[in-house]
Parts: sequence; structure tokens; C-alpha cells
Amino acid sequence: MNVTSRQGRTQALFRVYGILGYLFLYLPVFLLMFFSFNKSSAGSLPFTGFTLKWYQDLFADRLVIDAFWNSLRVAVLTSLVSTVIGTIAAFPMARLSFRFKEALRILFILPIMVPGLLIGISLLIFFASWLDIRLSLATVVIGHVVFTTPFVLLVVTARLLDFNYLLEWAAADLGATPFNTFRYVTFPLISPGVLAGALFAFTLSLDEFIITFFTIGPQSTLPMYIFSQVKFGITPKINALATLLFMGSILILCTFFYTLSRRGQART
Amino acid sequence: MAVVERIAGEEEPTGRIAVKSTQRPSPLLWGLLPIGLLLMGFFLIPLSVMVLYSFWRVEGFDIVRDWTLDNYAKFFTLPAYRVVLLRTFLISLAVTIIALVVAYPFAYFLVRHTSPRWQRLFLVLVILPFWTSYLLRVYAWMSILGDRGLINQALLFLHVIKEPIRVFLYNQYAVVIVFLYLYLPFAILTIYASLEKFDFTQMNAAADLGATPWQAFRQVLLPQTKAGVITAFIFIFIPMLGEYITPKLVGGSGGLMIANQVVNLFRGFQFPQGAAITFVVVLGIIVFLIAAQKYLRIEELYRR
Amino acid sequence: MSNQGISRRGFMRLTAGAGLGLLGASVLSGCKPGGTAGKAQGSFNWMTWGDHYVPGQLEKIAADFKIQANPTLFSDNSEALLKLQQVGGKQIDMCSADALWVPVYHEQKLIEPLDLDDFPVSKELYSLAREFKFWTTSEGYLAYPFGWSPIQVAYNPKYVTPAPDSWQVLWDPKFKQRIAMELQPFDVMAFMGCATGAKEPYNMTDEELAKAKQALKDLMPNILKFVEQNVEVVQLLANETIWLGTQNLGVEDRVRDAGGPEIKAFIPKEGTVGFIDGEMIAIDAANRDVARAFLNEAEKAEWIAENFIQFGRPLFNERAYKLLEEKGHKERADRYLYNQPEIALKMNLKGPAPRLEEYINAFNEATAG
Repeated sequence: MNVTSRQGRTQALFRVYGILGYLFLYLPVFLLMFFSFNKSSAGSLPFTGFTLKWYQDLFADRLVIDAFWNSLRVAVLTSLVSTVIGTIAAFPMARLSFRFKEALRILFILPIMVPGLLIGISLLIFFASWLDIRLSLATVVIGHVVFTTPFVLLVVTARLLDFNYLLEWAAADLGATPFNTFRYVTFPLISPGVLAGALFAFTLSLDEFIITFFTIGPQSTLPMYIFSQVKFGITPKINALATLLFMGSILILCTFFYTLSRRGQART
Repeated sequence: MAVVERIAGEEEPTGRIAVKSTQRPSPLLWGLLPIGLLLMGFFLIPLSVMVLYSFWRVEGFDIVRDWTLDNYAKFFTLPAYRVVLLRTFLISLAVTIIALVVAYPFAYFLVRHTSPRWQRLFLVLVILPFWTSYLLRVYAWMSILGDRGLINQALLFLHVIKEPIRVFLYNQYAVVIVFLYLYLPFAILTIYASLEKFDFTQMNAAADLGATPWQAFRQVLLPQTKAGVITAFIFIFIPMLGEYITPKLVGGSGGLMIANQVVNLFRGFQFPQGAAITFVVVLGIIVFLIAAQKYLRIEELYRR
Repeated sequence: MSNQGISRRGFMRLTAGAGLGLLGASVLSGCKPGGTAGKAQGSFNWMTWGDHYVPGQLEKIAADFKIQANPTLFSDNSEALLKLQQVGGKQIDMCSADALWVPVYHEQKLIEPLDLDDFPVSKELYSLAREFKFWTTSEGYLAYPFGWSPIQVAYNPKYVTPAPDSWQVLWDPKFKQRIAMELQPFDVMAFMGCATGAKEPYNMTDEELAKAKQALKDLMPNILKFVEQNVEVVQLLANETIWLGTQNLGVEDRVRDAGGPEIKAFIPKEGTVGFIDGEMIAIDAANRDVARAFLNEAEKAEWIAENFIQFGRPLFNERAYKLLEEKGHKERADRYLYNQPEIALKMNLKGPAPRLEEYINAFNEATAG
């Protein structure tokens, strides 16, 4: 009796903590969405009246929309590539011991240590002067993959450590091919790490600004657009875009998880 | 207590394979090839130009190839750079520790107190706010913490204060709050990834054997999720040393960090000096990691 | 950066085939030096700020004249210079820059001087904009003049009394943590130079620089923050977090639009800093003629008037002023000095200080805290 009430209390405490945590994460987002309906062009308090003007402005500005699609394209490609590269590198780092592992471990987190400005400028010199290749969204993706892969590698490695290998061995004993072992045993077990890594890569890439500027061809991305308004300032047009993007992601996510859970129910 | 320790100490059989013991190298080693090529081709080789610059001189807008150590010497002779580096280090350390302390229970909440079916959704929800622009989110924080911000408005409304007060923004607390906000998801996701695989029956076993929740946490749970915690530490502490936009946005005039100075140098085409300062910081981090590896047993991270 | 130039040429020699191909392509596209900016069609690459065109403008020009502009946006002059140094005219045809940054592009042999008479639209310019000394060279004019603005000191008259007219107001101990400034090291040092009576704020002597550095050090307690973007100064003035800030023209209206209090702005009597910006054509630009044809359309008074309405800072197109008058914007245009371009020449123009290293280190030391 005593135990269950105590468990209940712990449960309630953690729930409250969780809700507070989400509030902390979401309060600024709600506020910035709120500003997209505010007449004030400074994107801040006080509230000076309701308007949909910023949404009209947004749809009238093809370049902002283009910049947004460029950002999204780069972020999706970056997260795909860096997740694959980072995940397959995590296996030897977690499971094998070999010479120079110490040195490699430090090399692999070096891109996190060097500020983006230096990475961006060195890549610009490398692509433009040394290799003489045209800058494009592809060179941006390369730049982003360089600095996001270490994040993926580290998360997946952390996940793989203390991984229960008996399961893999059991699968092999039961006659599973290495591929099937990976597909049905290993991957489901490491997938939270892979998902976390992919989310990191996507998020970091979406907001990256300085490496992008130095490695991009005749295009712009959304962060470049935002930072380029230094002289006269950004308008809540960007808040409107952020609001739509946020709503869109929520919608897609909920649909995705809803169908997933429906399918799970159908199977059981 | 001894019993609890024994449970924690009991190693699961792990399948770590020593390459030396087998004749053929493991095929897993091929996994290192793509990342090796990537970092060699698009990071180390390009960055070598910056290493060279740090030993050269700049004249007007041109780099002159005169070998010199002046750029490194300047870092040690101009006190401004040391003062700012020390401040950068302290702010980063404070934020990192607070973020870990805040993130751990949150990750625990995600793993233990959300329904397994929706857990992934809750996880993605942690990072979703970060798909809106960084700058806008920080501006929003300024509207919350500012002189006429939400907190002040609320306090005024509740008659707690009569005049707006400035304790929430443009000081170290604000820097810590906003940095905490910006880096928290990284800590949560990383710790989540390592908590999620933990076998919580061990906690019940510890409780059955008379351990208090705190003892169970310290001696059973924490040691087995150490890899996640250390990874989160690396994720927050190291990138923060290179942050230059956030300090400008919320730090106030006294809160500029070392990367702000490097950016200033670069904007003035002082690549040699800017690169030299960066490499001093990078070397410092490497030394720190090697030392930490010995003393904090970072090898847990990639145990051999 | 001379070393890259060399390695790059070396590489070009290795890839002579590719080089010849490019040469062939440029001959085919009818690229010959000189000639009036006219009817070329196609697309070109433009590195610029987000306020150098208005929404819809590029689409309209693309539809009407088959000239497609691909803008790459930047925020800081030094970053654009570095990028053009590296990629050259092959990848960037046209680039925007501030006043004294432009001659640096020329010294670096990155841009092709213009003959303004090649551009029929240049007749719409104020005559003084056609003869800026710092853009005039024996080879031609370095940039096509676009807009300008002095940096003013904006203040909240409720707290800042009596009405100030000098930079000295910033150092008043009453304004502890009540000032915001843009974080651009050269410009901040130049403000300090103006305030301490330096002859050339962007080219101070050792003694003047030391004085300016000390002034900045003394000012630090009053500075609440250095801002990343101009809009922050507007926000901070609007919610009365700061009482003083450095700003481009138009701050009064922007603060009012943001629901803020009445704000006034003045040009300090010791002189101030300002920008004059323009468009430069890159040397050996692959789409040189297209870029020139674009300029001839984009700089027309109709667009420039539209740009003024959108961004509210004076531009150099004189005919656009008449259009603004007709459209009922005369009051605002006058208030923003549109019809007084001569003021632009009294400002200390933005640029890189020739003594790059000394300026940056002085700034870094003064702000280290």
C-alpha cells in the first residue's frame, strides 16, 4: 500500500516535471507564432493589433519561399548522409579495439571543436581555389555533413555500448543471416540512437548559416535570408513562415504516429 | 549496500571482439572508411590552409607567406584574449552542468512515464521547437525575459512589483537560461538514447535489497548511462566554446565570448591571428579530453 | 590572397581543357567588353543584401525581360569580399558593397570599372552620385550607386533630456546599461573616433586610436548590448529597455510601428558614420551582359521608389523622388533626407580601416570586460 502510493507520487512528480519541461521548450515558440499575427513589424511585444499581413507578405515573396525549400532540401540530404556515415562508423568504434583508436576518437569530434567560420572559409578556399569546382547546394551539403556526422557518431556509439550482444548471437545461432540479424535484432535495438542522431543532424543543418554562406552557389537559404536583413531588420514574415513550418511538422508527425499506432493495434 | 554494488558491478557478457585475436580484420572496420574519407577530404585537408595561415602574416587584404609565431604570441601577450577565454570556459561549464542536471530527469520521464506507443512522438516533440529559426526563438526569449517582457508583466499584474525590474535579461542568468534552452534538447536526446536501453528491473532489485532511490540511482542507473551523460557533456560544452551569435544576442556587453573575438578578427581579415586563437582553443580542448579520459574514465565511452 | 591566386592559376593550367571550354562558352554567349547595357537575356548571379530588391521585383523583371537574377544573400562586407576573392566572376557576376569597401574590391582586381553612360537609367541619378571621388578611377566608375544612410543616435526623449546633439551624451552615467550598438568593430571604433575628435575616424593615428579605445572602455558600463541585427535596436527602444541606440534613418517610424514610445534621432555635431552602397560587376563575369542589362532595369525610378517605401532610407535615384512626391510620400522622403544627397558626402564613409589589425585588436581589448 505504502509502496504504491509512493510510486504514484513519484509518477505524478515526474509528470509535472515533464509538463514543465515541455512548457520551457515551447513557450518561446508559441510566442513567436503569436508575433506572426501582431501588427508590429519588429516581431516583439507589445501587441498592437491582429493582422494577416505577414502571411500575405510571405506568399508574395518567392525568394523567401525558395530559400526555405533550399534549407529543407539541404537539411534532409544532410541528415540522411550523415546518419548513414555516422552509424556505420559507430560499430567499429563501439565494438572493436584497434591501433590509433584514441587518435581517431579525437579526430572524429574535431569538427565540433572548430568554429563554423573556419570550416566554411577553408571549404570555400578548397572548393573554389584548389579544386576549382562550382559551388552549389551539393557543396553546402558536404559542409553540413562534415559538422553533423560527429554528432550522429557519438549518439549511436553511446547507444551501442552496453548493448546486449547475446541477442545477436542468439539470432545467429537460430540461423539468421547477418543481414536479417541486423534488420530484425540490431537495428531495432539501436534505432533510438539513430533517430536521435538524425534529428540532431537535421536540426543543426536547418539553422546553419556561416558554413552555408561560404559554400553555397547562386542560391540562398532561410538563415542566410534572415541574417542578410542586418541593415533594416527582419519582419514577422519569417515568424509567419516559422509558424506554418511548425504547424506542418506537427500535423505530419501526428498523422505518422497515429497511423503507426493504429497499425500496431491492428497487429495485436 | 555491498549487495547493490555487486549487482551494479556485474558485467553483462559483451561481445566486444579484439581484432588481434582473429586473423582477419573484422568487416566492421570498413565502417570507418566513409567517415575517414569525409573528414580527411573535406575537413583536415581544407583546414590545413588555416593552420598554414596561423603561421603566416597578413598585409592589407593579402596573406604573405612569411613564417612567424607572432599570431600565437599575441594570444599570450594580449590579456584581453585570456580574460575572455576564461569567461567562455566558465559560462560553458556552468551551462553544461545545469543542462545535464535538468535533462537527466526529463529523459527519465520520457523513458519511464510516457506510454511506449507515443514515446517516439514525445521524443521528436523535444526537438521540434528547434525547427523554427534560431534567431526568432532567441528574440522570443527576449520578449519573455525583457524589461516589458512576459515575466515582468505577470509580476506587475500580480502586484509583486511596482516597476518593471531588470533581473532577467542581459546578465549571466539570462545567458545561462537561453543557452540552457538552446542546448537542452541535445542533452535530453543523448541521455534518452542511453537510458532507453537500461533494464529497469535492476532498479527494483536494488530497491528490494534495501537501497534508497538515490543509492539505486547513484550506484546502478548512473554508472550504466555514463556513456550518454559524457556524450551529452561533449555535445554541449565543446560547441559552446565556438558560439558567437547567442552571446551577442543575450549576453549583454560584458558577455562576449572567445568566438566573438575570432569572428571580429576574421571580419577584419586578420585570418592568421584568428586562426591561431582558434587552434590554441582546439589544442586546449584536446588536452582536456585526453586528461579527462584518464581521470574521468571517458573510455567508458568507447570501451575497448 | 596571393597564394590562392597562384595555386588557382596552376590548377587552371592543369585543366586547360575545361578552361578552353569555358572560354568557348563565353564567346558563344557574345561576351565582349564595352558596349551599352542593353538587351541581353539569361540568368546571372548576384551577391547582395536582402534590402537591395523588393519582393516581386526579380520575378517581374524575369517575366518582362527574360533576365533571371539569382541572389545569394550576405550580411557582412568582409564575408562577401572573401567569397568573391575565391570564386571570382565565374560564379558571381554582380556584388553589392559599402562605400570604401568598393575600392578594396578594385585594388584586389575583383571588379570591372563601369562607364555610367553605358546605362541609360543612370540619367535618373542625382548628378553628385555620378562623381563620388572614392569611386572614380582612370579606368571608370567602380560601382553603380544605390542607397545611403547616416548612422544616427536615436534616443527616447522621455528619459534623455535635454535634447542631445553630441556623441558625448552616450557617456552620461545616468544611462548605465541603456545603450545598444551594432557589433561591427570598424564602425564602433569609428564612432569612438568621431566622439573623441579624430580627423579620419576610419584611419586614426596611434594616438587617436588609443584615445578611441579608452573611450570605448569607458563606455562599456553604459552599453547594454551589441546587437546582431538592426531590428533589435527597434525592439529595445520600443519596450524602453534602452534609451539610446545607434541606428540607420527611419528609426522613429519603425519604433512607433512596433507600438513603442516617441523616439527622436540626431546626427551628432562631431560628425557621424554612414554608408553609401552600390552594385559592382565582377571582373571576367560569366554573365556580364545579363547583369548589366538587369542593372539597367532594376535601377529604374519605379523600383527605387518602391524600395524606399519598403525600407525607408534614401537612395540616389532623383526621378524616384518625383514619383514619391506624386504618390504622396513627400513628407516621409524629406524627413529621411531623400532630397539632400549632399549630406551623404559629409559622413565618414563605412569601410575597412586601413589599419585592420590595430582596429580589431583595440576593439577586442576594449570590449573584453
